[in-house]
Parts: sequence; C-alpha cells; structure tokens
Amino acid sequence: MKTWAVIVDTWREALARYTLLGFAGVSLVFMLILTFALNLDIVDGSLAAGTLFGKALQMRGRTPAIETVVSTGEAVFAGLLYALGIFLAIFAVASQIPNLQRRGTADLYLARPIGRTHLLLARFIGAVTLVTANLVFLCGGVFVIISLKTRVWNIRFLTASFLILAAFLSFLGFTYLVGVLSSSTPLSIMLPYALYMLSLPLSAHDKIAAAMDSKFWANIIHGLYWIFPKSAEVGRDVTMLITGKGTPAWTPLLTTLAFGLACLIAAVAIFRRKDF
Amino acid sequence: MAVGPRDPALPGGSETKIGDIVRHTADRRRPPACRANTIASANVEEGVSNAAPVIASHRLVKEFGRRRRLRALDAVDLEVGPGEVFGLLGANGAGKTTLVKILLGLSRPTSGDVRVRGRDPKDPRARRRVGYLPEGHRFPEYLTGAAALRLFGRLAGLPETALKRRIPELLELVGLTDRGGDRLGRYSKGMTQRLGLAGALLDEPEVLFLDEPTDGVDPVGRRHIRDILLATRERGATIFINSHLLSEVERTCTRVAILHQGRVVRQGTIDDLTRPGERFRIRLAPGTPMPESAASAAGARVASNNGHFEAEVADVAALNRLVDALRASGALIVEIAPLRAALEDVFIEVVAGEDRTAGVGHAAAAAGAEPGANGGGA
Repeated sequence: MKTWAVIVDTWREALARYTLLGFAGVSLVFMLILTFALNLDIVDGSLAAGTLFGKALQMRGRTPAIETVVSTGEAVFAGLLYALGIFLAIFAVASQIPNLQRRGTADLYLARPIGRTHLLLARFIGAVTLVTANLVFLCGGVFVIISLKTRVWNIRFLTASFLILAAFLSFLGFTYLVGVLSSSTPLSIMLPYALYMLSLPLSAHDKIAAAMDSKFWANIIHGLYWIFPKSAEVGRDVTMLITGKGTPAWTPLLTTLAFGLACLIAAVAIFRRKDF
Repeated sequence: MAVGPRDPALPGGSETKIGDIVRHTADRRRPPACRANTIASANVEEGVSNAAPVIASHRLVKEFGRRRRLRALDAVDLEVGPGEVFGLLGANGAGKTTLVKILLGLSRPTSGDVRVRGRDPKDPRARRRVGYLPEGHRFPEYLTGAAALRLFGRLAGLPETALKRRIPELLELVGLTDRGGDRLGRYSKGMTQRLGLAGALLDEPEVLFLDEPTDGVDPVGRRHIRDILLATRERGATIFINSHLLSEVERTCTRVAILHQGRVVRQGTIDDLTRPGERFRIRLAPGTPMPESAASAAGARVASNNGHFEAEVADVAALNRLVDALRASGALIVEIAPLRAALEDVFIEVVAGEDRTAGVGHAAAAAGAEPGANGGGA
C-alpha cells in the first residue's frame, strides 16, 4: 500500500508538472513525423521508391530487400531514440528527489511510519514505471508505424528497447545520487547529461590512453571507462541487435547496470543518514 | 458529550462535533469513563508500558557543521508523560524544531538518547500513530486537499476503508469540506495550516507533535485549532507543542519547558511557573478614589483601569497595611487578588536571567583569561 501510494504520487507529480505530457508530446511529434514524412513504395518485397519529407530517396538503381531497409531504418531510429529517450527520461524524473527533499516537504513524508529506503526505492520504482510507459509508447509507436508501413514486423526492435531501458536505469541511479547529494533539479539534469556525453568518447579509452604520456592518467581513463556507463557500446548493441548483425555483448550492459546500481545504493545510504 | 474545559464563547454543538470527529471511532460507543483508556489499552497491546514516558530525551546533544561546530541542543533532558500537553518554548533559533525533528527521526542526534513510546525514532515503527505538523510545511501543490490526506494516510498505513471515513471527517473538522477538491496551490496559508493539522490527525495519533501550529492562522482559526487540540487531549493523546506564541501555550498546555540556546533552562507545570508570589492587586469600586496617603504608606503602585482604581503591593504585610488604610478612609474594596505572572513574563525573566548569567560568565572568563587578572599569570 505504501509503495503503491508513492508510485501513484510519482505519476501525479509528473502529470502536474507536465513532464509526463512533455515526454509523451515529444514522442508523439516524433511518431507523427515518421507517419507523414516517410512514404515507401514496396514492390514484390523490395523498396522501389520512397520519399522523406516529400523528397525522393536516392535509390541509385537499386531495389534493396524491404527487410534490410526496415532493419536499417529501425536501427537509425533506435539510435535516435536511445539518445532522445534517455535525455527525455532524465528530464522527466530529475526533479523528483530534489522536490522530495525540499524543506517542509521532506518532513511530511519522513515523519510517516515508512522507512527511508522504502520511500526512496518506491520513488525509484515510480520513476521506472513512468519511463517504461513512455518508452513503450515511443518505441512501440515507432515499431507499429514502421511495421504497418512496410508490413515487416521486426521484433528485434522491441527487444532493443530493453537495452535503452537498461541504459536509462543506470542514468536514473546516477540522477538519484545527484538529487540526494545536491537537492538541486538543475544539477540532477546537467550532471547525468554530462556523464552521458563524457561516457561516449570513453569507448575509445584504449586509443586515448595510448596517446597519453602519463601512465597515471592512462590508468585514470581506463578506470573511468570501466566505472562509467558504456553509453557508446550499449548504443552500438542496440543497432546491432535490430539489424541482426550480432548479439549484444554482456560486459558493457552489465557494467552499465552495475554503475546505476552502485549509484542507487549510495543514494539510499546517504538518504538514510541525511538530516532534514 | 462535551470535550475539554467548556468555553462559554463556544456553542456546545461545535464542541461536540470536534470531540466526535477527533475521538476514535471505536470510542464512540463507550461510556465516557472508558474513553481515555482507549489509547492506554492500545499501548498495552503494542507492549508499550503506560508508566514509561511517551517522549524522553536524555543528555541529547545536536551539533551542526564540521569545522565550526554549532551546538543546537546541549544535554537536553526531557520527559513527557502519557496524556500530557507539553509546550516547548523558546526564542527563534533556540533549538525547538531541531529537538522535534530528532524526536521524529528526521534528524540524528550527535549524542544522547531519545525515545518515543519506548522506541528509537529512527525505527519507522516508532512513528506509528504519531502525528506531526511541521513548521512551514509544504504539501505537494499538485495535490488537492483530499488527495494530500489520502497520500499521507496511505503512507501512514491506513486502509482504504478508514481513509474513506477519515478524510471527509477531517476536512469537516478543520473547516475545509468545500475546498477538499481544490489544489493546494490555491490554498491560503491559514488553510494550508489547517490541512496540515488534519494530516497530523489522520491516523488518530497517540502522540501529536505540533511545530508552531497557529502560525499564519487568524484568531478564529486559532481558537478552532485550540478546540481541536483540547478534544485530542480528551481522547488521551500526548501532545507536544513547539511555539513562541506564549498565550496559546498557556491556554493549551499542562506543562512547559523553556529552551534557551539549546538548553532546557526551566520546566514545570503552567501553575508552577506562573504561581502567584507575594504580589497582590486591590480593586476599588467604581468612583471610589484611591487615597494617596494609604497607597504611599503601603508602597503601592496605583493605576486607573476602566473607572476602577487598582493598586499593586509587594507583599502580605504591605497588603494588610493598605487594606487597613483603605478601610479607615472608607474606601469600598471590591476585589483582592494574588497576582499570577503571565507565562510571557516568566519566559522573558528566565531568558533574560540566563543571558545575564552567561554575560557574567563570559566576562569572568575573559577577565580570568587576562594575564595576571587573578594572580594566576604571575
């Protein structure tokens, strides 16, 4: 009952602050663009012609198999959704912990017979359900639109959505840690974005470290790579999974999840000890 | 079915309504003698002894800051018994809110021990059937009044059936029935405060902590809140009030402690603290002048008040001298009353005394620190 109350509260807050509607609105715009801007002419299972925003696609005399076109197109969309989904999701939930910790509000929640760990984790579950619903809407919508337009139902696209969700979970853990430490919504948005940006080039940590004179700094780069989420690798796995060119590697995914889990555990530990 | 001391200014119906709503549902069918035992029997079921204080702190210290330690609470010893209405008085920054937050597990003590109903406040079970109205509370503005009560009722572990009953009752109790469906962003400060009180009373608390409960509330609302508190006390609940509105505390509380710079400098019942001393007031009938010679013979201070002459004397001997002189002059005495100090006077006297002592202490320490000041430097 208490967990349910906090989850419902998380949704109410997201609705009232228009973050849920904003998330859904941006997703809807993305889907409408896909619906009306992309037109494909399929003949005998191959793409004969197509237009994007009314401009003809350059086929150069080729008629690629529609499955290839769909999986490639979905991989491109998934790449966009990966970044867009994470950005929107962080934006949607970043204010939760700072709002909970506001002077005068924290007292009302924490004076109830509910443990702090319970409260924070219930909020986390609320945020996960919120973002999952939005991802289902966004990825599911894109999947349905593409599939209806092409008659190709590439289930791997939906499977890849779980990778996007996993990456988001990791960043959500970090967002919660920043929120608990700083009680600041702007920081809870900026720092996860910065982490995302920072983690992308770290996929080339071997090359960056090799270019460094100092072994110390080279080790720091390697260390950061292993600690931080593997945003680039997980993103690559998303496209690879959709195009069917391989199966995702477990190490980037698991270490990314481990980072989020460590952040969440730290957030809980700090929240439990915090004075309000 | 009156509750609390009957206030002639209040219609009996209003008192009954407040009492009815505050009282535990199961209590309604019991004879009056059994009502105060409701909480007592609940305590026995939970294994909490009634003999033990409901709220206790022992050598409680709270310090803030790492480099420059600021001691907000300094060895605070307090005990509040079952059914007491306890007032914690103090100027702004005295440490009142810090103490309440520690008692509710919102803040951790630096050292010392605190117990609420025999449990460490960090244990969520210690907060079962404990109501809290924080100072400057901020309900989520996106909720309606009723939705806020539902949320916090659920967090308190109340079942839906109880919430369906309690929410309309409490909204009615605090006079917000018509505004229960409005978003809290549209509430005035007084309305928010009343809703906060409703939230604190949600799970029919055995212990109620109120931090500046009448803050931002108009005089009518204050009286209404006071009536609710008296009805809650009748139910047998223990009430802990933080306030710097001394007149409110004086009217509501049975016992108070004065907190000054983190230390409890005085505590006792209101009667003890405001006990009349040797000072008396004599009032003469309207139109009867106060003979100057009589007043000066007794060393009395004379004042005119609404056509009455009033004289204050310092002790019983002076009182008798003044009465003799007045009777001799034919003055008509209508009242002789011992002068009871107002709680405000006691508070100011105690705090000023502490400040003077601290000042003397500081001066002595400063003097002692000077080389050769007491020969020690030689």
